[in-house]
Amino acid sequence: MTVPVQAAAEQITLQRRPARRGSRRPRAGSYGRARGQGVGYLFILPAVALFLIFIGYPIIRSIYQSFTQWPGFGPSTFVGFQNFSAMFQDPVFVTALVNTIEFTAVTTIVATFLAMVLAAVLRAKWRFGTVFRVAIFVPALLSLVVSGTVWGLIYEPNFGILDTFLNAIGLHSIAISWLSDSATVVPSLIVVGIWQSLGFYMLIFYAALHDIDPALYEAAQLDGASVVAQFRYVTMPMLRSVTSIVVTLNLINGMKVFDIIYVMTGGGPDNASQSLTTYLYSLAFGGQVAGAIPAIGYATAIGVVVLLLAIIIVAAQLAIGARRRLT
Amino acid sequence: MTTHSDFRHSDVPVKHVAVRTLGYLVLTVVSVVCVFPLLWIALTSLRTPDSAFGKSFIPTAAEWTLQAYSSAFTSAGMGRGLVNSLIVTACTIVGVVIVATLGGYGFARFNFRGRRPIYIAILSTLMVPGAVLIIPLFLEFKVFHLLDSLQGLALVYIATSVPFAVVLMRGFFERVPENLADAARIDGASELAVFFRVMLPLVQPAVLTLAVFQFLSSWNEFLLAETFLRSADLLTVQPRVYAIVGQYSTNWSLLCAAVVISVIPVVILYVVLQRRFVAGLTVGALRG
Repeated sequence: MTVPVQAAAEQITLQRRPARRGSRRPRAGSYGRARGQGVGYLFILPAVALFLIFIGYPIIRSIYQSFTQWPGFGPSTFVGFQNFSAMFQDPVFVTALVNTIEFTAVTTIVATFLAMVLAAVLRAKWRFGTVFRVAIFVPALLSLVVSGTVWGLIYEPNFGILDTFLNAIGLHSIAISWLSDSATVVPSLIVVGIWQSLGFYMLIFYAALHDIDPALYEAAQLDGASVVAQFRYVTMPMLRSVTSIVVTLNLINGMKVFDIIYVMTGGGPDNASQSLTTYLYSLAFGGQVAGAIPAIGYATAIGVVVLLLAIIIVAAQLAIGARRRLT
Repeated sequence: MTTHSDFRHSDVPVKHVAVRTLGYLVLTVVSVVCVFPLLWIALTSLRTPDSAFGKSFIPTAAEWTLQAYSSAFTSAGMGRGLVNSLIVTACTIVGVVIVATLGGYGFARFNFRGRRPIYIAILSTLMVPGAVLIIPLFLEFKVFHLLDSLQGLALVYIATSVPFAVVLMRGFFERVPENLADAARIDGASELAVFFRVMLPLVQPAVLTLAVFQFLSSWNEFLLAETFLRSADLLTVQPRVYAIVGQYSTNWSLLCAAVVISVIPVVILYVVLQRRFVAGLTVGALRG
């Protein structure tokens, strides 16, 4: 610390010192916790201000707006739960809800399991182990827009590599137009979601595996446990807390799936691949109209449904975590 | 010991070979599935537009060209996109680091009325999906006249990143031994001086991790950028790639070149900062 700064600093602190009363005498090791109240507020002020203006207020406004009808201009009318009850008469909403749940469930189960297995496999010594690890991780560097664009070309029916490959090996019957068939569009999008996120989750598991005591594996080997048994009875239990984090991340990412669908299908064909977020976006910004319902209030209500689903996921994770600690 | 290894020698090696073969097979298949599409994109970006629909996977000698890259920069505006993304990302990183280190330190080291409830309020919004905020944020930014501007986009990135970053930095500050700060205080340093001269240097690796995480999330962000930016010359990289997909859907070389250009900065950072980069990515797992 340079002397002038120290001198200037001294003046400021000297003025403040007497303000600290004897009763607030800090415990050893937590000296700073007992510092004057005002200084603490100053440190958190910028963060709290941004939080209130750009997160707190929008959430409250969203909840309010979801009980209104508003075309985006002029006054909004309060309509109670009408937006929410209208959802279940809206076939596009139902499709979007089903798609979102399907996308979330399948990506969560497949990506979590596959990532865990790959991490466990990669933990062993392999020739070119690093190459495999980097290769599997690479898609995680890409944005969802890029992943969507890449896979849009892959699925392209005339020149995309998927159908080119299928035709080359004689499977002409399944070399179809993956994204324009309402039966295959959602599974095709799910594949992209898994492809993009797998490396990231694998990396989280891989990092966590380093914290497992190697003695556990040695003990299991001495007991004659097979590789699969070691995975089942050592790796999986030891990764339990990380698994719950990965599952939650997966669920939340599934819940808010937007970019991939927006880029690859725009929710089509004929709304068959809408998710909750792409649907609410198309209502609010894309000029799509749901029946006779003005867009903004209804779209916000769908956003509140997404919020509720996220809350349920987090609450479930906390409840499971709490039960685990008790037992 | 000898008995054990004798026993193991009898049956394990055979199994071992089978397991290893299976392992290599699985790793190879997954790696190819992960990398092959990107290889195809890279090759397509390096060939003439017509030959993108040809039969050969690897371009023939006559088909190699950098033409797609020059048109990506000249007619599709990728250069402008890179500059815009760089500006927004840099501002976001600086803003988030300042606000989050101050805030994280405040929550970790000071006792003030309402500290716990305020912190819990911030913590509980970590999982709020962006799509929930997009409509009210859009309306709010319209009122502030911050739509369609890079400053506005940086501001919304900073604001939406702050909760996570504060939680992260608070965790790091709590692990720093307090006696160093006390020593500075005894020397008469002000709280601000303690923060900037003592505490901040101590969490420097954490700040770098946060910066890398922030770089990735801002660079790859699409929803807010697509919604808030309207003018063609303000588009950042992600909405621009999306626009190119719509505009040049039949020019695959150009499309692929745009994709490659948008990814290059991330790859450079990854190569330069490998360890830190992986830490920055997985630090996001704390969101759980």
